[in-house]
Amino acid sequence: MTHTVRQHAVVTLVLLLALPEPARAYLKFSVQTLRAGTVTLQWDASRPVRYFVTNRGVPGVSASDFQAAVARAFDTWEAVPTASIRFQFAGFTNAEPFEDDDLSVLGFQNKPELERVLGATGFVVDVLTGEIVEADIFFNSAFDWSTASAGQPGRFDVQSTALHEIGHFLGLGHSALGETEMRGGGRRVLASGAVMFPISFGPGNTADRELQPDDIAGVSDLYPEAGFRNATGAARGQVTRGGRPLFGAHVVAFNPATRALIGGFSANTNGEFQIAGLTPGPHVIRVEPLDDADVDSFFSGEDAVDVDFQVTYFERLFIAPRGGVGGRFVVEVRPK
Amino acid sequence: MIAFKLVIALSVVLLVVRGTPTLAQTAEERPAHRVEGAVGGLWLGGAGLGSSTAALRANSPGTPAPFTLFTTESRFGSAPGLDARVGYGLTKRIAIEAGLVFSRPKVRTRVSNDVENAPALTVAESVNQYFVDGTVVVLLDRFALGDRTVPFVSGGAGYLRQLHEGLTLVETGSVYHAGGGVKHWLVLRDRGFMRGVGVRVDGRLYVLVKGIELRDRPRPHGAISGLLFVTF
Repeated sequence: MTHTVRQHAVVTLVLLLALPEPARAYLKFSVQTLRAGTVTLQWDASRPVRYFVTNRGVPGVSASDFQAAVARAFDTWEAVPTASIRFQFAGFTNAEPFEDDDLSVLGFQNKPELERVLGATGFVVDVLTGEIVEADIFFNSAFDWSTASAGQPGRFDVQSTALHEIGHFLGLGHSALGETEMRGGGRRVLASGAVMFPISFGPGNTADRELQPDDIAGVSDLYPEAGFRNATGAARGQVTRGGRPLFGAHVVAFNPATRALIGGFSANTNGEFQIAGLTPGPHVIRVEPLDDADVDSFFSGEDAVDVDFQVTYFERLFIAPRGGVGGRFVVEVRPK
Repeated sequence: MIAFKLVIALSVVLLVVRGTPTLAQTAEERPAHRVEGAVGGLWLGGAGLGSSTAALRANSPGTPAPFTLFTTESRFGSAPGLDARVGYGLTKRIAIEAGLVFSRPKVRTRVSNDVENAPALTVAESVNQYFVDGTVVVLLDRFALGDRTVPFVSGGAGYLRQLHEGLTLVETGSVYHAGGGVKHWLVLRDRGFMRGVGVRVDGRLYVLVKGIELRDRPRPHGAISGLLFVTF
């Protein structure tokens, strides 16, 4: 590590908002490296990822309660049978999150100015290889927190928020599998289909302690266990409007047999998308505009995301193969 | 194409046989321990595969009802097919058969109730479907309609193979069937290589287990087939 050039990668990843606010589906982060071009942001999965927890609690949550809730969230990601990532609790620390100190630290910090941010994750990346060398997560102690097993009215659930932030910690972006409504100048979640949806459920809700198919597909695609790629298939295609490539559409594959919903995006200027981790078999493909969260939760501000179209279904059933990628197809969306 | 060639070949055989002197026989005088080949067309009925809901988790504490994104209703369509069978008469009344049924049904999924009011539509795929089965056929002479027309019952089990559209995914399972029909001999001979020619109508109820399915539940498909058979 001494010979590598290190710098803070763009950190952001705003997350779980008490009320309104946004955030990405199963997106993988990528980084421009000096040696290997653009690569996917990820840890070296050949050894356990070590993390520290700050030795400081907040009212209602002791440091040990916090550590235990965070450990359960790490265990949940580690338990995904089709993924190979492992974690190791390295101890309590006085270090703070977001210090460039080679320590991955999770802890509370008081940031009342971030009035809609429950937590955030930042990285230090080896810019030669794209490997994550440090990731930190802060939980905003301006909010009330709980680690009660059944949740606690009026308090946000540490484990649920930790599960989402650890998704970022692993290199996953936000999921767009959710529906929201505008309320009080922000967005309120009506429903969510992924822990990685950018907007949190309300206080007292513990539903995000359990990973959803979209989350599982994402982490498995990023850190595949042996056999994952041969046992699942991928959908590849293009979204167009008026025959022209459409950037930034949310593409969802639904398997009527398993009822799993897994999303992806037309994330390049050719309007192309790829969704991996699909159970072999027929899928219904639904394309929708990114109108249930702020677009910059998914793409950078410079990207011209097109949301001016109606929900459109691909006119055939897509058949996910057992291993490999299914035949490429095009979805021409309906204009508004 | 192969099956069509077989039909043509059997038709030629039939003409040749009819053109030679034959000896009419009663059902009791039918040859036993003979091999019989049959080929013909089949109509395989459809079956429902069930409904599914694409649902999200609603934002309410506790265990709220799921939030419906859209719903689907899937069905195997009916389709014509080819039915080819080779049998061996264990006795004058009981025969065993090996059968191959091929058809190309469509799986249709109707998508509706979209939360953002997208119009309902039906999406589909074509499936290459094969049944390979072993069957027991019992002729019911007691109910014979004259010397040459005999009803029968049949039943069997076999292998199901379904190849999805695009030929990228195979699904397998089991197929069971029971049914009956009528065999009518156009020609019967008591000597020579070819001992008889006739037609046969089968009605079967197939039950498919595994293969393409939304539920872990057997699916019944009705079928009717008409075959031309030759006894050697």
